[in-house]
Amino acid sequence: MPGEVRRFNEGKSENRPPEGLARRLAAIIAADIVGYSRLMGMDEEGTHARVTRYRRELIDPTIAEHHGRVVKNTGDGFIAVFDSPVEAVRCSIVIQQSVTGRSASLPAQQQILYRIGVNLGDVIVEPDDVYGDGVNVAARLERMAEPGSVYISGGVYEQIKNKLVCGYKALGDKRVKNITDPVTVYRVLADPSAVKAARQVRGLVAALAIVLVLAVGTGIGAFWLFNRSEMERQGGETARAPVAPPPSASAPPSAAPAAPGTAAAPTPVVAPAPAGAPSLLSEPEMVMLPGGSFAMGSNEDATEKPIHRVSIRPFAIGKYPVTVREWKVCVAANACAAAVLGAGAEDDRPITNVSWADADQYAKWLALTTRKPYRLPSEAEWEYAARGNTESKFWWGATLSLGKANCKGCGDPYDPAQPLKVGQFAPNPFGLYDMGGNVAQWVEDCYHRDFAGAPSDGSAWLAGDCFTHVLKGGSWRNDPSYVRPASRDQYDTAVRYPTHGFRVARSE
Amino acid sequence: MLTRRLLLASAAASALPLRFALATSAPSDAYLYIISPTNGAKVKSPFWCRFGLRNMGVTHAGDAYPNAGHHHLLIDVKEPLDPNEPIPQDKNHLHFGAGQTEARVDLPPGKHTLQLVLGDANHVPFTPMVMSKKITITVLPH
Repeated sequence: MPGEVRRFNEGKSENRPPEGLARRLAAIIAADIVGYSRLMGMDEEGTHARVTRYRRELIDPTIAEHHGRVVKNTGDGFIAVFDSPVEAVRCSIVIQQSVTGRSASLPAQQQILYRIGVNLGDVIVEPDDVYGDGVNVAARLERMAEPGSVYISGGVYEQIKNKLVCGYKALGDKRVKNITDPVTVYRVLADPSAVKAARQVRGLVAALAIVLVLAVGTGIGAFWLFNRSEMERQGGETARAPVAPPPSASAPPSAAPAAPGTAAAPTPVVAPAPAGAPSLLSEPEMVMLPGGSFAMGSNEDATEKPIHRVSIRPFAIGKYPVTVREWKVCVAANACAAAVLGAGAEDDRPITNVSWADADQYAKWLALTTRKPYRLPSEAEWEYAARGNTESKFWWGATLSLGKANCKGCGDPYDPAQPLKVGQFAPNPFGLYDMGGNVAQWVEDCYHRDFAGAPSDGSAWLAGDCFTHVLKGGSWRNDPSYVRPASRDQYDTAVRYPTHGFRVARSE
Repeated sequence: MLTRRLLLASAAASALPLRFALATSAPSDAYLYIISPTNGAKVKSPFWCRFGLRNMGVTHAGDAYPNAGHHHLLIDVKEPLDPNEPIPQDKNHLHFGAGQTEARVDLPPGKHTLQLVLGDANHVPFTPMVMSKKITITVLPH
């Protein structure tokens, strides 16, 4: 694993002063397993195998993803350093969520739970260890932490409070052994939506809704993680039908977090494993597309000119836009925002109200958890997929036909208030649904006013300030001209809007 | 900056069906206007359109601070807005959810109308609607 981890002090080790004077400011994570001796005493081999697997599959990749480096392995834990306190805390939350989720399928006495402390301090970094008061404070915070939770120092809190969407509970100043000054301690509450919403006057109902969503979502997450490991063992690809029975129905009620603000605590989740139950789907259903070249753009609108030839390599693209159900799995893993889920969000509808940044985050999370190269499609790939080897104005012909897509003026079925469930219309020649209409879909490309200078190799066009990104396909609230494969629009990268969704792509 | 905007955006509830969007009240003296171009102006495209707002503040979409909203520029829009639905998002309804107070606008030659509407955290018009006078401009040929 070290090969994958960015070296903290890369290139400098040879020039380092001999007496360990390579001091630097670092965010330090100290983590250990609760009751490790007890676990080992009970089942030495089983515990060791589980811990090794957690490290290999969950923890080490998460640390690498957040640009951290493990500098020391202790018997029952580890110490890792990060350049950024934001990354350190984010990494800690992901570790706690994923370990808790994975452990949920085990009987209580076999569950592995970590305690994590994060501190920001001046430390001495050696190739295989790290020293200094900063490390000692992190270790003391870890020992104070409740199982499954993350405690941070006041220094870390000051750095991240406006940057990381979390709840923080102040625990006051604590005396730390052998450290002169008391340390201010905060507990990180990984359930920001519930905390924030509860503070808002009109958010009472919304808070309840979010708690419910999280309750279901946590169950899904645990179930999903459990099933994923099952599926990995079987080596099987996941696939799903668009209107599969909601898996949440099989999530046990005991999966609910006790109250807003306590979601970071280890939630006793009993993962269901009934034989013959619908398997929980971790990945969107994908369609493999052949490579080819096509004429991108049109003369219908100035932004679609000039028509230009683009070559596309084979790739896979989502058969449907990402659904609410799929989004909830990411929320349960604490990697996607719960805030975009409204009270009425039904599982088979496309996820909406996502910014480009939200969509990008989902794709990155999916790639990380599945270890497959998921990403957003490029604009060229999206248009190629939408055309399905056709060159006409619409994929079905030169003129609008009613009942082919979900837009304002495209005919029935239509609901002015919300998108339709995915897959309600005939698929295009590539077997893809909702490639135009229903929800406008983010692609990887930064917006450019036309195609002058656009790449011809199918890659995303990322040059420019990238303040806005490209939306393809139009939504149910747009007129039929937006359903055309060549139609393109733009929107601010970090702003959410209720008709915007996305689908994922995967390099092959 | 990006993180900050995301943080603010997360405070807003939504993905509710649109009909459940709740109206947000605006002070009765809120005044929205287009600073430039002026009504009847002849301009070359692209041009800067500058937004003026009195007695309210500009904030990010998704941010539900009282008496603050974000700008939407309506270009050649003839249909009235539905006061209970998010302001549409298309090539005629430009959104400025990052709190912009001006925009570079690119329009083909000819007569066009411009009008500003302030939207709340969920892009829904305020009650009463905070809307500028609709102006007409002429974009000169290149």
